[in-house]
Amino acid sequence: MQIEARRAFWRRIAGALAPIGLLVLSALSASAQSASDFAGNLSPLFQGILARPSDLNNTLQYAASASADDIESAIGTYEQLLFYNPTLSRVRFELGVLYYRLGSYEMARGYFQSALQMRDITPDLRERAEDLIEIIDKKLQVDQFTGYVQTGVAYQTNPGAGSGPQTVLAAGHTVNSNFAATPDWNWFGAFALNYVHDFENQNGDTFEASAVGYDAQEFRLHQFDIGLLELRAGPRFGIPTGNPNMSLSIKPYLVATGALLADAPYYGGLGGGLTLHTNVGNVALDPYAEIVQQSFRNSTFYPLASGLSGTLSTYGLQASGPVSSGLGWQSRLGYGHASDNYGPYSYDVYAADIWLPWNFSFPGDGRIWTLTPTAGVSRWLYSAPDPNINPTITPLTTEWRVGLGLDIPIWKHIVLGTLVQYRADQSNVAAFTMHDLLVSAGPTYKF
Amino acid sequence: MRAYKIIAVLLAGATLTSAPALGQQVGTATAVNPLSESTPPGAATAPLTVGARIIHKERIHTTPTGTVQLAFLDKSTLSIAPNTSIVIDEYVYDPNSGRGHMLTSLTQGALRFVGGSLSHEGEASFATPAAAIGIRGGTVTITFGPNGAEIIDHFGIVTIHNGAGTVTIYRPDFKVRVLNWTTLPGPIERVLSSDIEHLPRFTSLPGQNGGVSGLHSVSIAECGVFGTRSNNCPDTPWVPTDTGLNDANQIITQGTQQGTGTTAPHRHGS
Repeated sequence: MQIEARRAFWRRIAGALAPIGLLVLSALSASAQSASDFAGNLSPLFQGILARPSDLNNTLQYAASASADDIESAIGTYEQLLFYNPTLSRVRFELGVLYYRLGSYEMARGYFQSALQMRDITPDLRERAEDLIEIIDKKLQVDQFTGYVQTGVAYQTNPGAGSGPQTVLAAGHTVNSNFAATPDWNWFGAFALNYVHDFENQNGDTFEASAVGYDAQEFRLHQFDIGLLELRAGPRFGIPTGNPNMSLSIKPYLVATGALLADAPYYGGLGGGLTLHTNVGNVALDPYAEIVQQSFRNSTFYPLASGLSGTLSTYGLQASGPVSSGLGWQSRLGYGHASDNYGPYSYDVYAADIWLPWNFSFPGDGRIWTLTPTAGVSRWLYSAPDPNINPTITPLTTEWRVGLGLDIPIWKHIVLGTLVQYRADQSNVAAFTMHDLLVSAGPTYKF
Repeated sequence: MRAYKIIAVLLAGATLTSAPALGQQVGTATAVNPLSESTPPGAATAPLTVGARIIHKERIHTTPTGTVQLAFLDKSTLSIAPNTSIVIDEYVYDPNSGRGHMLTSLTQGALRFVGGSLSHEGEASFATPAAAIGIRGGTVTITFGPNGAEIIDHFGIVTIHNGAGTVTIYRPDFKVRVLNWTTLPGPIERVLSSDIEHLPRFTSLPGQNGGVSGLHSVSIAECGVFGTRSNNCPDTPWVPTDTGLNDANQIITQGTQQGTGTTAPHRHGS
C-alpha cells in the first residue's frame, strides 16, 4: 500500500513536471540560438542585424557606422537595404562608393549607373554619380592620362627672392640692383601630364611617365622670366604581399629637367631614382632616392651660374592620407645634398612640406570646392663662405612658407585656381634674407 | 512503471523540440524574396522567411523569383541569386577570438560573398563541382551552371583550385572561368562592364521587398555618414598645382643668391 502510494506520488510529480520540463528544455534550445549568444566582440548594432533584421533604424545606423572603417560590412548592409527597396538611388550610390573604395570599379560603375536610372535621384546626386563614372572610365583604361593646364596672372612683392636694395655685401658695395627686392606682375602658364600604362597583369605592373611645365614672363623684371620642363618616366613593379589591404610596388625612373632663365638656357639635369609605394592602413607612403647630374650655363645676368653644376642627391618620403570630413593631407620630408663645381655653392638642405586639401560643397550643389592650406620649411646649410657675398660667414638660411589655395568650380573640369603664398628667408648672411608675397589666379582645366 | 513512461515521453519531447538546435546558429536570413526554401539537417524543407536562423549543414534553394541574403556571425554576407542551391557545409566562428572557418557548397546558380572576419583570415571557402575557391579578405561573385564556374574577384585574393591545378587572382575586377574539375582554371581576364550587366540578380525585383516593408527613403548623407560629406567619398584626385612654381622659385632664389654679388649687366631692351 505504501509502495503504491509512493508510485502514485511520483506519477503526480512526473505528470506535473512534464510540461515544465518541456518548457525549460525548449527555452534552453531557443536560448542557444538567440542573439545573446552572438555577443562576444560583436557590436550591439550588428547583434541587432542578426536578431532583428527588419529593424530598419538599426540597419541604417549600422550601415552608416560601418562605412567609416569596414567597407565590406557596409556593403553587406546596404545590399540588405537594397533588398527591402531596390529603387532607392541613394543606396545604390552608396554601394557604388563602397565598391569604388575597394577598387572594384566595374561593380562601382554598375551601381552608379543603376542609381542614375532611379526616379528619386536628386540633381546633385546625379552630378556626383556622373562625375564618378567618368573617373572610373578613366581608371579602367589601359592607357590613362590625368593632369591639368593652368594660365593666369600673378603679383609678387619679390619675384627674384632678393634682399633689400641697401643690403651691403662684405666687400662694402651693395647688392647687384638686378637682384634687389622689387615687386612685379607676371603672366604664367603651367601644366602637368601624368600617363599610366596598365599591363593588366596580376601584380599590377605599370609604366608611368609625367611631365611638368611652368613658364612665367615678368612684366618688367625679365631677368626672372623662367621656363621649366621636367620629365619623369619608369616602370612600376607590383610586389604581391599576400594581404589584400596592403599594396607594395617599386619604381625605378629617369628624370630629365631643363630650364630657361632670363630667356636664356640656364639649367639642365639628368638623373634617376628609385621609389617605393606602400600603404599602412589609409596612409600611402612613397619613400624615394634620386641622383641628378646638374649642369648650369653662364649667361649675361647669371655669369657665375656654372659654379652650381654638380651632383644633387635627394632622399625623401612623400605621404598622404585622409583626416576627416573631406579633409586629407599630403606631406613631403626630404634631405638633399648638392656637390657643386664651385665649393661654396655646395649645400645640404632639409625640407618639410604639408598640404591639407579640403573638399567641400555647398548644400544643393554637387560641385566640389577645394581649399588647400600649405606650410613648409627648408633649412639650407652651405659648405663654405662665398667670397663674393661674405668671405667670413658660411651661409645658413631657413625658409618658411605658408600658402592658401582655393579651387573654385566654374564648369565641369574648369576651376578658377587661386593661390596666396608667403615666403620668408632668414639667413646669417644679410644678402640671403628676403620675403615674398605671391597672389595668383587663373583658370585651370583638370583632366 | 508508468512514471518511467512519462519521463521517456518527456525526454522524447524535449529531444524533438531541441532537434533544430543541435546545429549551432551561424547566421540569419536578413532578406528573403519568395519563393526561397531551406532544409535544416534532419528536418523538412520549408519556405524561408526573413529573420530565420541559419544553422550549419542547412540547405537553401531559391526558385526563379526567389532571392536571399544571409548575414553571418563574422559579418560576412551571402546574397543568393534565383535558381540557386547552396549548403552551409561548415561554419565555425568564435566572436571573441575572431577565428574559425566557413565552407559553403554551390551546386547550382550564383552567389555573392562579401567577406567578414573569417575571409580576412583566409578561412572562407566555397566548393563547386568544377573548383574549390578560397577567399582571403575578399568579395567575390561565383556562378556555376552547365558551362562550369565563373569567379569574379571584386576585392581580395581568390585562389581557385581543382584537379588540374591552381590559379590565384590578386587584383579586383578580374575573373576566371573553370570548365570542370579536370580542366585547368583560367585564363585570368579583366572583368568587362558587360560581365557585370549580365550577372544574375542578387537583390529584389521591382515590387519585392525582401520580406521587410516600409523602407520608402533613406536619410543618409553622401558616403555613408550622417550630416556631412566624409572622407569616405572618392573625389577627383587632388593634384598640387604649385609643383612647377616651387621648382621655379628654387631656381630663381639660387640664381639670385649667386647673382647678388655680381656687377649689374645691361637690362634687356635698355
